[in-house]
Amino acid sequence: MKKAAIFIVEDEAIVAEDIRQMINTLGYSVTGIARSGEVAIDKVRETRPDLILMDIHLAGPMDGIEAARQIHSLFGIPVIYMTAHADDELLERAKVTEPYGYILKPYNERELHSVIEMAHYKHGMEQRLQERERTIRALANAIPDAMMLLDRQKQVIAINETMAQRFGRNADQVTGFPLAEFNKDGSLDTVLRHLDAVIEYGRKVQFEQQDRGRWYEIALYPILDTDRSLARIVIQYHDITDHKEFEAQLSKEGISRIEHNMEQFQILNDQIRNPLQAIMGYIDLDCARFRPKIGEQIKKIDNIIARLDHGWVESEKVRSFLLRHYRPDRENMTDGNKHPSEGGQT
Amino acid sequence: MYTLMLVDDDPAIREIFSIFLKKTGFQVHVVPGGKECLDFLKTTVPDLILLDIMMEPMDGWETLNAIRNSPATRSIPVIMLSGKEPAPDELRQYGKWIEDYIMKPVDFKTLAGSLTEIIEYHRNMHMEVKRLKIEGFDPAVIDEYCNLRQTIVVSKKLVHRFRDTWRVNDDGIRMQEERLRQLRVTLGLPVSEQPGDSQVGKNAF
Repeated sequence: MKKAAIFIVEDEAIVAEDIRQMINTLGYSVTGIARSGEVAIDKVRETRPDLILMDIHLAGPMDGIEAARQIHSLFGIPVIYMTAHADDELLERAKVTEPYGYILKPYNERELHSVIEMAHYKHGMEQRLQERERTIRALANAIPDAMMLLDRQKQVIAINETMAQRFGRNADQVTGFPLAEFNKDGSLDTVLRHLDAVIEYGRKVQFEQQDRGRWYEIALYPILDTDRSLARIVIQYHDITDHKEFEAQLSKEGISRIEHNMEQFQILNDQIRNPLQAIMGYIDLDCARFRPKIGEQIKKIDNIIARLDHGWVESEKVRSFLLRHYRPDRENMTDGNKHPSEGGQT
Repeated sequence: MYTLMLVDDDPAIREIFSIFLKKTGFQVHVVPGGKECLDFLKTTVPDLILLDIMMEPMDGWETLNAIRNSPATRSIPVIMLSGKEPAPDELRQYGKWIEDYIMKPVDFKTLAGSLTEIIEYHRNMHMEVKRLKIEGFDPAVIDEYCNLRQTIVVSKKLVHRFRDTWRVNDDGIRMQEERLRQLRVTLGLPVSEQPGDSQVGKNAF
């Protein structure tokens, strides 16, 4: 960790100078000294130190606690209080500003060193934690899927904005609450049901669900603890509407292609059989000698076309299958059970 | 002499059918399309129509529809003639309107025989209906009897020919036959008579 740059707020010039020397001896740099809270805020804004040593008793309208409060909230810079006498009321007020340490006057170099190092270290850790949390949050929000993390009690531990928006809230309004509270419209019924199963059996569950006009693939992943017991559950909503539409489009195109092919089959078969019929006729008229032989050849060709007919029949089966499964609006078009003459009976 | 009309867009088919059917003793009119067929029917009513399916712009089914929707031509027997297999939809929709569905190529001698058979079956039927009407039977019952009889004859023919394409409910036909027997009893007809079953379409080269 690099040595901290420190700002000193102390209204007694001699004391301030003493502290500066002590700090320099300890190897830290001093970015500045201020004698009042107001000046301190301005200087801190300019110099951005790593740490502030703050005398609680300051001359001027703003005391050290108020100055520390403002600096902490404005710049997030940790503050260590210095005070000669610590009465309880003062300490109570100081506590509210979340100080990183106290040091009681008079103090020696060693005490100053340890309190600065502690504060600097603590602040560094906190920043890294915050940074990590921001990173995770940024990652979670960068994912287009809606995601959340629950504990065994089905409470929301973490949630990304996409998921929070599904509940009409922001992430902070959802975190820490039981998931069931966001099921006013019943859209979480299935999820909650599967959640019980995931908690009980510790196995991943995945299913598809239509919700407000869109299709989702919803997955519930158990997260196991080091002792293999279930610790948390991740719930993920993956939007598959486009995929579904593409699939439907594909099968629709498939149907059109098959229909087109079938039409071609029919036309071709018809076109081949016409000349065959003509040839049969002509040889009957004028070719008594080779009639049986030519007839045989015609028969062969006709058998080949019959195989194409068979292909057509097969295509018809595929077509009606597709129609049944992908176009319910045209149901029963090719259902073979109805007899053409049944109508005459009634 | 019976009059036939052949509707086909292929000139070779028109020529060869024309020659053979005339040789067999029919009077034959040939026309190249559905539109021409309907025009021709305004002046001449044939005893039977042979109707190709795949024609442009008006195909055989459309033509059939027009023939069945006009009172003047409604009762003319029609045989469909095609080089393509019928679709189940087509049989279901038009089965009750046609005498038969014949796949080309067809043997002329067999065809000629069954054409006569169909024409005569219709004539007899027509006379029978006339007689029943004179005898004072309920026209609704007579109608049902005619339709049912026709339906059964054609169904059996088509089922036999296109078993691949057309999955049929044999129970349906049996029920219809049972109903037909009842109607024959009602109309005072002999119960035993079997509707004619022509053999056209079993290609005999």
